[in-house]
Amino acid sequence: MKSDPKDYVSIGGIDRREFLSWGGIVSAAFLAACNSRGPKAATRLLKYAERKNRVVERALFRHTSIDVVRPSAYDAGNKLPSYFVSPMVPVWDESVRGKWALEVSGLVANPMRLTLEDLQRLPRVSNRVNHYCVEGWTAVETWSGVPFRELASVVGVSPDAHYVDFQSFDDDYHESWDLESAMHPQTVVAYGLDGKMLEPAHGAPARVYSPVKLGYKNTKYLTKIVFMPKMNGGYWSDMGYEWYGGT
Amino acid sequence: MERKRHHWIVRVTHWVNVVAIIIMVGSGLRIFNAYPAFARKGEMFCCYPFEHKPIPAWLTFGGWLGGARNWHFAMMWVLVVNGLIYLAFVYLHGEWRDLVPRKGDIRDSWQMVKFYAFKRKDHPHQGKHNALQKTAYFLLPVAGAVAVVSGIAIWKPVQLSWLTNLLGGYVWARYWHFMAMLVIVILSVIHVFMVFAVDPYSIPSMITGNYDERNSPEARNARPFYHLFPRRRPVVPPPEAT
Repeated sequence: MKSDPKDYVSIGGIDRREFLSWGGIVSAAFLAACNSRGPKAATRLLKYAERKNRVVERALFRHTSIDVVRPSAYDAGNKLPSYFVSPMVPVWDESVRGKWALEVSGLVANPMRLTLEDLQRLPRVSNRVNHYCVEGWTAVETWSGVPFRELASVVGVSPDAHYVDFQSFDDDYHESWDLESAMHPQTVVAYGLDGKMLEPAHGAPARVYSPVKLGYKNTKYLTKIVFMPKMNGGYWSDMGYEWYGGT
Repeated sequence: MERKRHHWIVRVTHWVNVVAIIIMVGSGLRIFNAYPAFARKGEMFCCYPFEHKPIPAWLTFGGWLGGARNWHFAMMWVLVVNGLIYLAFVYLHGEWRDLVPRKGDIRDSWQMVKFYAFKRKDHPHQGKHNALQKTAYFLLPVAGAVAVVSGIAIWKPVQLSWLTNLLGGYVWARYWHFMAMLVIVILSVIHVFMVFAVDPYSIPSMITGNYDERNSPEARNARPFYHLFPRRRPVVPPPEAT
């Protein structure tokens, strides 16, 4: 007795030709998606997810969570990558721009301009901490400088200030932070690295440094610290990296 | 002869998982390529032979580091919520009985290996899944859990430092995250290969839910690419009513 050929080729009601063409469409879709940024329409959804993630991350944030270097970890030393956005290492030229000073302003009782000597007269800490880069690497270094909290208490931060913008002379590089991350005990306005004065390769004369933020949030070559009621984006945040960038 | 094989919750979570895993792996590999190594700066790493060798770009998704991160941090919620729905269902609905390892599984797995290697003629008797499948479907959520936990440890190494430390620190958490991904990818590739090579009839069953047991690998005595089509006895028409 002849059997129905359908018994052989039918896979759950889809015949072989249909099956193969579907396979072709699916494979083509995958190939098209390779190394792509994904559909444009998803951008809004991704932005939405980022805003929601920020809520979660800020809820998780505690000042009592302290970065501790693992006992077995070695210092990165000269293996710490140098990084800036200008075409050349940004160097503050006193003969052109006059003496460098850090402007602390915005929603504060006493706006100030602090020279490097002024900063060094303020209380100093040295933190041996991890550097968390957005790329996925970490580096152990010791950062010395003024705890941000000290600076904030000196200028008298208004209760209306919820964000801080860290601005630089490395082109228009800046990044704004939530105030609570800036007030973390391990956030410093650093002018020293591994026991020496900060070098231009790593943000001289002063930079913000904190293990609670990814590297790109830690603005180097500081010129201004501005307390603000609202966030102000940032160099990399505006290009699509997460604004929060917290660890 | 078709029987309901997969509950709609299993079918929906399965296909959501396909999309979520592909995007998570692709974007994760793009993130990895920004620093395709595990060593802390100024150190060496013991246990990865391909330090500083990037993954081929065509295997990655997201286009650039920031894009890949945005995809990764959005899709992670889909993966986690979907996984929890699946696990809750499997637990509450009793399907976990088909999946948890049992005493005879090692012996049964060995019999399956022997069968696939032509050292045994007949397909070992099985329930819903054969012993090798069971192992894979059990290991996949385990690897998924490791991926999620190590992922959280990388995401919040300071705020959740207790978790990161539990995994051996940031460097090792990244390593476990990578290894969990590798296990998921290997299991998934084998799974897809076996679906096409041994039991293509399970594809519609993961869409409609229906499965004809006469097409099962056991009924066909099917090895990869052997006995793909069932040998059916002609259907005898029922005797006419008199």
